[in-house]
Amino acid sequence: MSSLRQVQFLLGKDLRIELRKKESLVSMAFFGALILVMLNIASGIGKQVAAENGAGILWVAIIFSSVLGLGRVFAREKENGCVAALLISPISAGEIYAAKALVNFTLMCLSELVLVPVFYVLFGAQLSFAPLSLLPILLLVNLGFSTTGTLISAISAGTRRNEVLLPILLFPLILPLTVLAVKATTAALAAKPFAIVLEQLEPMAAFCIIFTTAGYLLFPFAIRED
Amino acid sequence: MLALNRSTLFSGFAAVMIPAAIGMVFFYAPLEKTMGSVQKIFYFHLPLALTAFLSFFVACISGIMYLRRRQRIWDARLAASVEIGVVLTTLVLITGSLWGRPIWNTWWTWDPRLTTSLILWFIFASCLILRSAIDEEGKRATFSAVLAIVGFLDVPIVFLSARLFRSIHPTVIRADSVGLESSMLLTLLVCMAAMLIFWAGLYKFRVSLYLQEAKVNDLQIDGTS
Repeated sequence: MSSLRQVQFLLGKDLRIELRKKESLVSMAFFGALILVMLNIASGIGKQVAAENGAGILWVAIIFSSVLGLGRVFAREKENGCVAALLISPISAGEIYAAKALVNFTLMCLSELVLVPVFYVLFGAQLSFAPLSLLPILLLVNLGFSTTGTLISAISAGTRRNEVLLPILLFPLILPLTVLAVKATTAALAAKPFAIVLEQLEPMAAFCIIFTTAGYLLFPFAIRED
Repeated sequence: MLALNRSTLFSGFAAVMIPAAIGMVFFYAPLEKTMGSVQKIFYFHLPLALTAFLSFFVACISGIMYLRRRQRIWDARLAASVEIGVVLTTLVLITGSLWGRPIWNTWWTWDPRLTTSLILWFIFASCLILRSAIDEEGKRATFSAVLAIVGFLDVPIVFLSARLFRSIHPTVIRADSVGLESSMLLTLLVCMAAMLIFWAGLYKFRVSLYLQEAKVNDLQIDGTS
């Protein structure tokens, strides 16, 4: 089997499990919507938020809820000793990494299909709706978050305190990505021209490239059970 | 034995150098024109930042070497430098805040250097938390090596992403010139030397302590089995 086919196979397997159990996706969307509602109340009932605050609120909800799905990606494999089975199968660690990152990327995209509309319903009165600016920001963050997160979640799943360690280890690393995403989203929500959004998208893409490469190279060390 | 000797030598040397450096800061270096005596914290702030950064660099290199060689000594070096780095970064942030409050009229600002130091502190402190959560030696070493490498990779991106913030942090040492009077510069260099020697002593001590701990653990495992 070519490596593309193997990645596709693993991706299909995980998505099929998700489709039947629906545990990650439902909890991600539910928790994210819950955060949005809480932040809406916290920012003052009946008040309009500015683009800057709105961007921050959207990313807090997305990132906090995505950690839930990410934690399950490896915890599920560890529970039944499936990691060992994956490792002895004729699939390289790099392909496992790519498949797991893609699973998480897909889950994040799907949960954002719920969260972004909820965000606009709750906060959107004064904000501009700019799907063309927003879409590349969302996709780049999903990519950066998934590639960094897959590496870190392999590490945290190897310890006894998976749920606690995952956000502690991951959030500091993706902080630059979050900062850039908030800046870009602020510009998008304030209906600024795309050129201003693009200024932030370039370093975000750099982040994705660097961490995808680092993750691909370091993942074999993180996943091996010795 | 050699490592022990060297660490005693370094710490003995540091015990002389640090009081000498403090003496120079207060009795030799002139008073800064606008900031007055508050500026004297600078002579320790910059060396602390330098050694903190050095620690994380050493941690990253040790991480790479551990993953390549799988030798305990590299894990010991990583553990020592991460621990020292976290302590030094804490001191950098504290001295910076103490300096910034009277001069900038704020404890904190989102300047690239401040942001980078803070995020580095978070990343390497989380590495310490990770180390405390794992008992198996090999796994702990591998995981913390991976995190130290990824953490160090984050530095340029953090700096880049914070670059767009308005900066009020001074740049003392530039590529073309040093914005300091010669007696101030001399004091700064002595402080840096003192701090580097202190760092080396601390590092040597921590590495040898870590190796001894690991040996004791080995003996315990041998004794029970």
